[in-house]
Amino acid sequence: MSHGEGKDKFLSEKENLQSMRKKKKLGKDEFAQAISRNMVAQVCESLGFQSFQQSALDNLADVAVRYIQEIGKTASSYANLANRAQCNVFDVIQGLEHLGSVQGFSGASDFRHCLTRSGVVKDIIRFVSQADETPFVYPIPAFPVVRERVLDLSFSQAQETPPDKHIPGWLPKFPDPVTYAELSSSNEKDSETEAVKIQQVEQQNRRAERSLLNWQQKLMCNESETGAVVEQGDAAKAQRAAENNPFLATPLQSRENEVSLPCLPARLIHESLGYGYHQSHEVMENHVQIMKPSLQASGAARSGPCELEERRKIPLIGRANLQFKVGNFKKSLSTVTKPQNNGTERTSYWFGDDRDEADEKNDRAEKILWENTEYPPEVSNV
Amino acid sequence: MNGQTSHQQPKDGRHDDDTALTEFLASLMDFTPTIPDELVEHYLAKSGFQCPDTRLTRLVAVATQKFIADVATDALQQCKARPAVIKDKRDKQQKEKRLILTMEDLSKALREYGVNVKHQEYFADTPSAGLDPASRDE
Repeated sequence: MSHGEGKDKFLSEKENLQSMRKKKKLGKDEFAQAISRNMVAQVCESLGFQSFQQSALDNLADVAVRYIQEIGKTASSYANLANRAQCNVFDVIQGLEHLGSVQGFSGASDFRHCLTRSGVVKDIIRFVSQADETPFVYPIPAFPVVRERVLDLSFSQAQETPPDKHIPGWLPKFPDPVTYAELSSSNEKDSETEAVKIQQVEQQNRRAERSLLNWQQKLMCNESETGAVVEQGDAAKAQRAAENNPFLATPLQSRENEVSLPCLPARLIHESLGYGYHQSHEVMENHVQIMKPSLQASGAARSGPCELEERRKIPLIGRANLQFKVGNFKKSLSTVTKPQNNGTERTSYWFGDDRDEADEKNDRAEKILWENTEYPPEVSNV
Repeated sequence: MNGQTSHQQPKDGRHDDDTALTEFLASLMDFTPTIPDELVEHYLAKSGFQCPDTRLTRLVAVATQKFIADVATDALQQCKARPAVIKDKRDKQQKEKRLILTMEDLSKALREYGVNVKHQEYFADTPSAGLDPASRDE
């Protein structure tokens, strides 16, 4: 239990604490608080403590800081009481007496005593004579550091006349016109960089578009492997062409694409309600070429989940004429065409952004209905 | 401070006290307290204490150091006074107790000085932690 060993342990603990504290976010007074913690730890160590609890050290450091502040406050208030702005030694001694009155000191009851003979002073003198002189381990710069502000010149200081009569000369100058004027020489460069950026963005969009529609094509091709799917060689070009303009796509032969009944499973609808854009692809897979080019272009041009809001009411029984209107960025009014079949027409909303409770009830009813129909929902298409 | 009286002894007495104080303040400049001057100046300036004299800042620093030393000494005595928990197999050797500054000792020591520091003994995960099973079911 040698003092030297204890000191090393103490210092290493201090260093650990310091490194730990570096990771924390620093507040306004962090530096001073850290120093106060170090200082208190040093004092404790000189008395014989070997280690400390973190919270105990924080508390003691806080108490020490408050003690200093309390002395300062009391001393300055005594000075102000004596009609002075600056404090002198007697203010400090009075402050110490005030703080020491809790614990008590010799001669405290004698209110007429001379301050130079105060008990607190004697205690301090005794303490200084007995204590080991252990200066603080780290050299500290004077803080807080005051940054020198470079003030802007005023009109009169810069010996300039203000541009207008209403501007007085003691106000700071206007900044140089160079700083805010656009130069013609830099415009070309900007436009070039802008063009490059636009190209990059377009490329990204095309890539996203392609990947999404590839996936869509794959799903479609699960049933039939014909025309729309091209070999790997020309795949990219043909797909791009097909994606951009459906009229340029290779025409389908009759019975080429066996489209199953567009009886999308009710469960699928219910599950995917609210997914928005992604749902649109699952819908599209069953309806081959009925998509409008505008839908494709607008849908594919956005990568990732988009704000495309579509509302389609699609009758689920039988193959009916499908028509939908697509609204971009707005909730669109959609019209429903009555199917020719007389079967029970059920409509469902693909994107239930504004579903009513009645619609939800309808959906539940659909679900129950579907469970008992001849044509069970074909999940294999998905 | 410069009390001019006819009596010799009180004058000497007062003079002694004055000289003692001045000498003490002068000696403070030689003694380096553990509390750095910059820290003390920072906090004194924060609380409105204005004095260009460095001897006064040293006085405040020394007073604070004395205060902390007193508190820490009391805490140390509390720590030593507590019976050691560890049982040594070798009874001949004296129990080596690790002197740790704990919240418990510190709060007891600070209470003497008028500072009330209350510390949470433990923190529970859930509101029902530590309750009887019967009451927990409720």
